[in-house]
Amino acid sequence: MSAPQTSTPTSSPIADRLRRAARDPVVVSGIAALALWVVAAIVSPAFASWSQILTLLMLASFLGVIAIGQTLVIIAGGEGIDLSVGAVATLAAIIGSRYMDGSNENLLLAVVLALGAAAIVGVINGVGILMFRVPPLVMTLGMIAVVYGFIRLYTGGRPAGSAAPALRTLVTGDTVAGIPGVLWLWLALSVLVIWLLRRTSYGWRLYAVGGNPNAAYLSGVNTKAVKLSAYVLSSVFAGVGGLLLLGYTQTVFLRLADPYMLPSVAATVVGGTALIGGVGGYLGTIIGAILLTVLDSFLRILQLGGGAGDAPRQIIYGLVLLVVLSAYGRQRRLRQ
Amino acid sequence: MNTLTARAGTSVSNLTRARMPMVATTVLLIVTVTAAATLQGNFFTPYGMTANFATILPIATVAVAQTIIVLSGGIDLSIGTIVTLSSVVTVRLMDGGDPSQVPLALAAGLATGAACGLFNGLLVAVLRLQPIVATFATSFVFGGVALLVLSSPGGTVPAVLTGGYRQVFAYLVPVPALLLLVLWLAWRLLRAQRIGQYLYAVGGNAGASYASAVPVTWVRVFAYTAGGTVAALAGVALLANSGSGDPFIGNELTLGSIAALVIGGTRLRGGAGGAGGSILGAIILTLIQNLVFFAGVPTNARELVNGAIIIIAIALAGLLTARSERAGRSEGRTA
Amino acid sequence: MASTAFLEMTGVRKRYGGVTALDGADFAAEAGTVHAVLGPNGSGKSTLLKVLTGVVAPDEGEVRLNGRALRPRGPRDTAEAGISAVYQELSLIDDFSVLDNLVLGVEPRKRGVRDRAAARRLALPWLERFAEAFGGRVPVDERVADLDPGERQVVEVCKALVRQPRVLVLDEATASLRRRQVEVLFDVVRELRESGVLVLFITHRLAEILAVCDRATIMRNGSDIRTVTIAEVPERDLVELMVGELAAAESTESSATDEVRLDVDGLSAGRLHDATFQVRAGEVLGLGGLQGQGQSHLLSALFGALKPRAGTITLDGETVQSRSPKQAVRAKIAYVPGDRGSQGLALGRPILENFALPSAGRRAWLGIGLSRKRELAAARAVAERISTRYGSLDDPVSTLSGGNQQKIVVGKWFPTEPRVVLMDDPAKGIDVRAKAELFHVVRELAASGAAVLISASDDRELVELCDRVLVLFEGRIVDEVEGDRLTEETLVSSAMHITEADRAVATTATADTDPAAPEREDS
Repeated sequence: MSAPQTSTPTSSPIADRLRRAARDPVVVSGIAALALWVVAAIVSPAFASWSQILTLLMLASFLGVIAIGQTLVIIAGGEGIDLSVGAVATLAAIIGSRYMDGSNENLLLAVVLALGAAAIVGVINGVGILMFRVPPLVMTLGMIAVVYGFIRLYTGGRPAGSAAPALRTLVTGDTVAGIPGVLWLWLALSVLVIWLLRRTSYGWRLYAVGGNPNAAYLSGVNTKAVKLSAYVLSSVFAGVGGLLLLGYTQTVFLRLADPYMLPSVAATVVGGTALIGGVGGYLGTIIGAILLTVLDSFLRILQLGGGAGDAPRQIIYGLVLLVVLSAYGRQRRLRQ
Repeated sequence: MNTLTARAGTSVSNLTRARMPMVATTVLLIVTVTAAATLQGNFFTPYGMTANFATILPIATVAVAQTIIVLSGGIDLSIGTIVTLSSVVTVRLMDGGDPSQVPLALAAGLATGAACGLFNGLLVAVLRLQPIVATFATSFVFGGVALLVLSSPGGTVPAVLTGGYRQVFAYLVPVPALLLLVLWLAWRLLRAQRIGQYLYAVGGNAGASYASAVPVTWVRVFAYTAGGTVAALAGVALLANSGSGDPFIGNELTLGSIAALVIGGTRLRGGAGGAGGSILGAIILTLIQNLVFFAGVPTNARELVNGAIIIIAIALAGLLTARSERAGRSEGRTA
Repeated sequence: MASTAFLEMTGVRKRYGGVTALDGADFAAEAGTVHAVLGPNGSGKSTLLKVLTGVVAPDEGEVRLNGRALRPRGPRDTAEAGISAVYQELSLIDDFSVLDNLVLGVEPRKRGVRDRAAARRLALPWLERFAEAFGGRVPVDERVADLDPGERQVVEVCKALVRQPRVLVLDEATASLRRRQVEVLFDVVRELRESGVLVLFITHRLAEILAVCDRATIMRNGSDIRTVTIAEVPERDLVELMVGELAAAESTESSATDEVRLDVDGLSAGRLHDATFQVRAGEVLGLGGLQGQGQSHLLSALFGALKPRAGTITLDGETVQSRSPKQAVRAKIAYVPGDRGSQGLALGRPILENFALPSAGRRAWLGIGLSRKRELAAARAVAERISTRYGSLDDPVSTLSGGNQQKIVVGKWFPTEPRVVLMDDPAKGIDVRAKAELFHVVRELAASGAAVLISASDDRELVELCDRVLVLFEGRIVDEVEGDRLTEETLVSSAMHITEADRAVATTATADTDPAAPEREDS
């Protein structure tokens, strides 16, 4: 018997489709982001202005780019997670700024070195996790200390240099249609990543490895190579995010990208990429990044982030993560 | 007859294999102590012993707390923030230096640790969240709450605690070393209970434990709650050592606690090891960090060297346990 | 059976997702008897007994023990009610000593502290009783991980006995035991029967049923078929009840050629010892015997998923070095694993992706870029060829029925044009119609020139499907059956390694004979 060809069954009634959409994390997060933005705009009308929207999206883009790798690693499964993305992004920014040193002359070299260093961290993560069987969370948590230790040694505690003008233009300049370049770049990367996941044999293998590593292995997939590549890509994209951040802030400081570590996990998970692996996609992460950025800005207007520093936002991030986990991150029951 | 001797041979090799982590830990301990005694001139003086044990006790205590949880098959990435939260609660309540408030403040600190642990335990055992991410999430909650309780370093610890912490008995036995001994005895007591055995059973094979009528859910909740309580003790030790509160005081201890227990021979997947090894692991870890200091590693390189040592230790221990398990399995098959 | 039976289970139902494990099964047994629960794999006998022990929560149904309703929330409650079980997959903690395992969950205490001396007093009598099964020693303090599989099984039995059960469940407890160990166990079982204990016994070994069981309940497809008294039923009928009616299987046209495709010489891996055989192109070669005699290890070793200890594999005259499944796939070997849920499919992923997994790279642009159109066409072509029923190729595989899932596990290999197809019990747990269609697919693969190796837990499947069957026992090929000899009866007796002489002994039910479990050569 042959089958209907459409990707969504056209025969099913609209109610059924609505019910399915109501359970789709991408749709739910999208609605939540929109609702939050509306509330924020009512509380503070400035929120609704075009320039404020662009700023929000720009802030979301750094998180979004850093979370690309997080999405890949989590999809690849096996308790996969990369906590070192914040440290790696900082590392890339620091190396980049040192070699750029405010001029365009060494831009290419700086980018290559920064991303190369990031890739090395990714390889170390992958080797530790795959060959030495260190749990991913512990390995990448430990790598944070190593990477920051290296940064300290490399900079002597005082990061030098600044972003190349070209990078600054790329990130903040109104390149096309009055939209900052970084958003175009994010769009391009998003298209690339979504294509990679949905329309390449690599993407399908990644999902298979995350969904069922045994089945993937027994179908001739080199599961270790696939997972290793996920960790390397994660570090590289974190590096790209760090460089973009450098273009935005112009100069670097020691814990530049630290605040992106937890949100990169939260954005991915909120967007429906489940920590069990093999489920989700980058579209959800984009929505998740925007949702968290709106939430963050909203909390700032409410001045919850005022006197006590990061505390309330930290607590809220933690709780959001727990709520999402309880919704779709449960383990098997003991009793069958 | 032949099979009998062969069997005796394998059981001897089994014994050595089971003891292998302990042997490795002991060798490492001797090496680090020797090196420390050589490089650190005042190592075997009252001052040197006090200084060393004063820094060892908090990390050893957190390592014991983490060990209880890891043995049961869990892990607690929020343990450092539990230390922080309970210490800031304690310091807030005894600020002002009035010694009469100390007992209440200590009780509140312990209760805070127990409550945090209970919260983690319920998330993991009842809601069935993955331990690693659930406690990762709660680490931000606890850390955030700690910042709300005490937004910046401050508060003074009564002299009763700080002074008592620096006492030395019998020339070379400082109070922190005695406390370490008490901690170990408490662990032995726990181990002798049924629940002590169940920690290992659940961590070794939760399904088999369940089928053997072990109350698996309760054991998991207990492990996290006990771990949280012990972590709170580490918070008190940190306060007594530093003399004032700090809203980040314990956060870095999470990774150290995992490293210490792994060096001490506890299996990260649960079911094997023990708190005694973790205490030794904490001593080794602290001494290595001191060595990095005394060996003249440049200030800026210390963080990197320390981080690298921790990662390498965890990775090697992971490789060792994977090896011995594989060897054990293939032996079991052909036996 | 009267309504006052000691143990009564009525209308027990249990579904796992789309699979029905128990479909309203009824069961009753009396105290002081040894009661066998028989039936092919997947007939629900293990699930039924797990409902009794509280490990599985039934969707429906009632359990009554000694007239009282039993509604356990878990094994703790059933243990208190006096039910102990020896499970097929062991319930021992590997790192614990034998003693600690025996008293796990029932540790005696003195002043709040575990009392090791009392634990010893509790456990030692049983270990001593089974000393013979441990080769004459009493391994109280040995680590369970260091015991061999048979000894572990005996520890498991002792663990159940320490709890002094009123109902003892033995779920394939003899499968990994040696003859002497079985003898000791049966002596104890008879003593328990005398003292009024109900022993429930799952086994596939006919001789054991004859030797120790009083009554037997036969299960099929999740419900009970019949309960009989062993002594009143002729042995032949019992075999028939166990394996299903011995209907003449319709044999299919053979497509075997003379060309040797796969040549295996002296292959040892896992449980498999020294296997030497050839498979010709177009031939379907069956691997028979009791379950777990090395069939799975043979197949996974050929696929590179299990490292061989010795032996060579030659494919079309060339030596194959399959060190990983990836290389095996490259050499055009296909593998259908025994457990489709955990090994064959990424259940949460779309049907399309599961189909494409082994072959997507071949169709990709520059080895990477996939065309959705081309993928859909490829999947649809295969789906049609193997008549798979599905809603949309984008639906998760988990939405399909078991039979259709299995067709995808098989069908995904079609585009790789396999030269050798390895199948590990592919028809397990799928319904009759899907099975027939699956076999058609297997035949088609063979007809296209592939050499097919197939294991099956149901001997009838082998008779129906295969040109030739190798019978494995304890890791060795003990028999080769083809042509007129290829009947279910030959396979059953060959699998149980029973000779006519053994049967004669068994039917007289002398206590100390267990022909089904001969001494292992490697012990």
